[in-house]
Amino acid sequence: MTISRHQDEDGQPAVHRVPLPRGAVPHVRTGSQVRPDQVLASRREVGDPVRISLTRPLARHPFEISELLLVTPGARLDPDQPIARGPDGREVRSPGHAIFLTYSEADGSALLVLLGAESPVIGHVHGTVLQVTRGFISVAVPGARLEGVGGMGDAVHGELVVAVHTHDEELRAGAIDVSAAGKILIGGSRASAETLTRARAMGVAGIVLGGILDKELRDFSAIQRRRREIGGMTGAFAVVLLEGFGKVALDAQLFSWLRAHAGRMASLFGDEHLLYVHEAASPPLRTLMAEIGDRVVIHRRPFQGRSGVLVGVLDDLHDTPSGIPAVTGVVRLEDGRLAPIPLVNLEATIAPSRH
Amino acid sequence: MSDHEPMLTTATEAGRAAPHPTAEISLLIDVGSAWTKASVVGRTRGRWRIVAHAAQPTNWGEKALIDVLTERMREAVDHRLRDEVPAILESAARITCHTPVRPGRLGVAAVTAEVSGSAARRAAESAGWVVVEEAAADDGRSLPERLSTLTAADVDAWLVVGGFDDARPEQALEAAALVAAARRGGRTPVIWAGSAALSEEVSACFEPGVVATIANPRPNAATEDLGPLRHHLEELLDRLVESGGTRNLAPIGFRRTIGEIAREDRLRVVGVDLGARYATWAYADGTVDPVSIDSRVYASGGMSSTALTTTPAIGRLARSLALPVDELAVADTLQNMRARPASLPYSEEELQVVHAAARLRLAALVEERMPESIDLLIGSGRVLAAAPTPMRAMRVILDGLRPPGITQIVLDGAGVLSPLGSLPDEEIGEGIGVLRDDLLVPLGTAVVTRGGRSGQLAIRARLHRVGWPDPETVEVRAGQVLVMPLLRGERAELELELEGGATLPAPRRAHRLRAEVVGGAVGVVLDARDVPLTLPRRLDDRREVIAGWLETLLREPVPGRPREVAPERETPRRGLRRFRVGREAAREDAGDEGEDEVGEAEVRVGRERREGRDS
Repeated sequence: MTISRHQDEDGQPAVHRVPLPRGAVPHVRTGSQVRPDQVLASRREVGDPVRISLTRPLARHPFEISELLLVTPGARLDPDQPIARGPDGREVRSPGHAIFLTYSEADGSALLVLLGAESPVIGHVHGTVLQVTRGFISVAVPGARLEGVGGMGDAVHGELVVAVHTHDEELRAGAIDVSAAGKILIGGSRASAETLTRARAMGVAGIVLGGILDKELRDFSAIQRRRREIGGMTGAFAVVLLEGFGKVALDAQLFSWLRAHAGRMASLFGDEHLLYVHEAASPPLRTLMAEIGDRVVIHRRPFQGRSGVLVGVLDDLHDTPSGIPAVTGVVRLEDGRLAPIPLVNLEATIAPSRH
Repeated sequence: MSDHEPMLTTATEAGRAAPHPTAEISLLIDVGSAWTKASVVGRTRGRWRIVAHAAQPTNWGEKALIDVLTERMREAVDHRLRDEVPAILESAARITCHTPVRPGRLGVAAVTAEVSGSAARRAAESAGWVVVEEAAADDGRSLPERLSTLTAADVDAWLVVGGFDDARPEQALEAAALVAAARRGGRTPVIWAGSAALSEEVSACFEPGVVATIANPRPNAATEDLGPLRHHLEELLDRLVESGGTRNLAPIGFRRTIGEIAREDRLRVVGVDLGARYATWAYADGTVDPVSIDSRVYASGGMSSTALTTTPAIGRLARSLALPVDELAVADTLQNMRARPASLPYSEEELQVVHAAARLRLAALVEERMPESIDLLIGSGRVLAAAPTPMRAMRVILDGLRPPGITQIVLDGAGVLSPLGSLPDEEIGEGIGVLRDDLLVPLGTAVVTRGGRSGQLAIRARLHRVGWPDPETVEVRAGQVLVMPLLRGERAELELELEGGATLPAPRRAHRLRAEVVGGAVGVVLDARDVPLTLPRRLDDRREVIAGWLETLLREPVPGRPREVAPERETPRRGLRRFRVGREAAREDAGDEGEDEVGEAEVRVGRERREGRDS
């Protein structure tokens, strides 16, 4: 996990990019203040294809029509916009908002794809619009941004709620009830596919976990995909992992920080593995090169997810149990045991007060 | 350190009379997406050597890297220079290359997913692009679904393909129109590589100058030529994504160095570089003039490839392990490797999963592409260079690539091939020449046969070494692998007889042949496990066989001894490592096939190799 403090070293807030699909019309400008549920842009969904005969209205043979077309393939058409015009002034017009695709010389018809009603593009973050381009809207977010190592799902926002008692507790299906609807839950070390399915059914917006078994995440993703394919699935849902795959506890320091921010508005981006906690204090900072005395989190089995203090670095390369020689640090685990761990498998975690 | 002698400088070489020595060094740096490899090249005892080497996660930054190199340099440098090492490193000439910052993103619209779409994808992926979205008229999705998909794609370029050259399929124009609709103007380039008869109509869908028309990779049902399309995509990638020049890109540098090695030594060379994100395959034939070079760059073909974390791949990988690691743990290990590519496998189980993943990636990289016979196979990439033992690296290469024939196998242990390839053309050969002692780590020579009848004799071999008594005949049965020690720098003559239908590729398709082989950290591997590997269907049997191969390959080599110190009764068979495959072992002594002398050939491996290169 990588964490950017709400104000980085340059004093700049975290910047989030809201991608705009092609054809989207922005409704905000640079400098606008936006809310998580605000519509930042709108676009028309692609609808059904239709074929329109051009030969009959223009009274021409199919091979004569090409020269009479007023639009090129791929053009966007407004309602009543002329598609083709004969020498006598007769016209064929678009039946509505549409995209002109092709003209068939075989039957003299034009293939159009109708565009449906406008649908909103929601940013799911709050902050100040920095830039509006054809491809994205960037928003400066006053809060903490946490980058996870995995996840799935949509962009969602909701109130942050802690659903487990300890950082290494598994999030059980029974811990989720209807009061969690619309919330972003902080789980612990794992959630089963059953728990995720129940959370989805209960209307939970998203779940933040230390780890999850890849198999269970894949199973859940497959269920979601199938439900989407057969239709009837409503509402968005996201899962983000902060530490790793498998049963991996959230770092205790980070868990405490998240618990301290329960009740704040948060935004979760499943596919991008991002969590924003709005109006939040600095979270524990992670750095990849640990130094002696740092509190560290271990990232490979058998100690994955466990934390301790780096008490020394061995002078020479040390063989790991796999036989790979590596620069190795000695970590005093929280239970007092010492473990030699390659430095590359460690991440230092620095409390906010020491930033 | 590659050299335990103190590093001498120009001044000290001149007679140690100079008041203060000076140092001539260069830094070769390969900045990968996960690991940065750096080597200090300096003169020691009159020769250029790699005097210090370090590899560390890229995100640790340059200062940490220089600190490590400084520490290692201090151990090697003339004592009068020790305090000046930081300044020397600071002022050293740097030859750097790096993994592309990001791959090119391509959207593909095709007439058929299996024909034109498949050809387009292969051309694009082998040219360093990532196909982020693909839509074909027969992919089962409706027209609006395909249009929505393409509209949502964020790409650097579009590729439209479809139709044989003598046809005018409407679906091809529809594909072009979908791209025109999804693209909505802008400067994103479009490539048309479909029916020649439709070129004008497709171009008319876009603004003037937007469409580049390239030769159709599938001009008819019987022909496929991806070359022109791949070449154009490579050029476009250079222009769009790496406008600062491509010579400093690691995949390009790697290809150039492989070409130069093949040209200088007149060898057929295959190089594979398996990185965290990228994978590069390069084949150079130095036996023809000019040297022919073919390469493929896969932007998401490395160890972090998403192809490894699909359900079928995880299952396949779990079944290829010698240890009983369940699929859940395999999947988590692979995902953790993707999430933190610079971390190291800590346990034996993790190592086996990572190496199995590497074998799978190599197999995918070389699919249908390994030449029939090559002289030299070079493995590069952190997963190989950081293998705990040379034999582990050899196993990944052999099982992943299955090079048929008699092939010398070496490692780019210091990761210097790519930086060397970023030098100007005329300097690459010079760089290879001055570093010849340290450039590559010889693992040994592999003899990989095809075919053979399970459990029956496949190879009968005698290794004639200068200074050794007459060698005993070694027998390898189909399904077995066996290692004969031959130390680094040693050459020997290998006499082979192939039995039971086992073959070596042409022109060595002879039943009896002799080949000069060179040694290495592993030795000579006689591998009669077929190409591709044949494994039992039952999981337990399969695991037993794989574990047996691993055990055979991982035993420590027994050092060879020259004739004068070897006891008379001791034969060269001592130190021979052998594994009998599962149940087939019991049948080992069953009757061998009669000697079949259909042909006899005498060949040399690594012919005309320059002296000293492989020592």
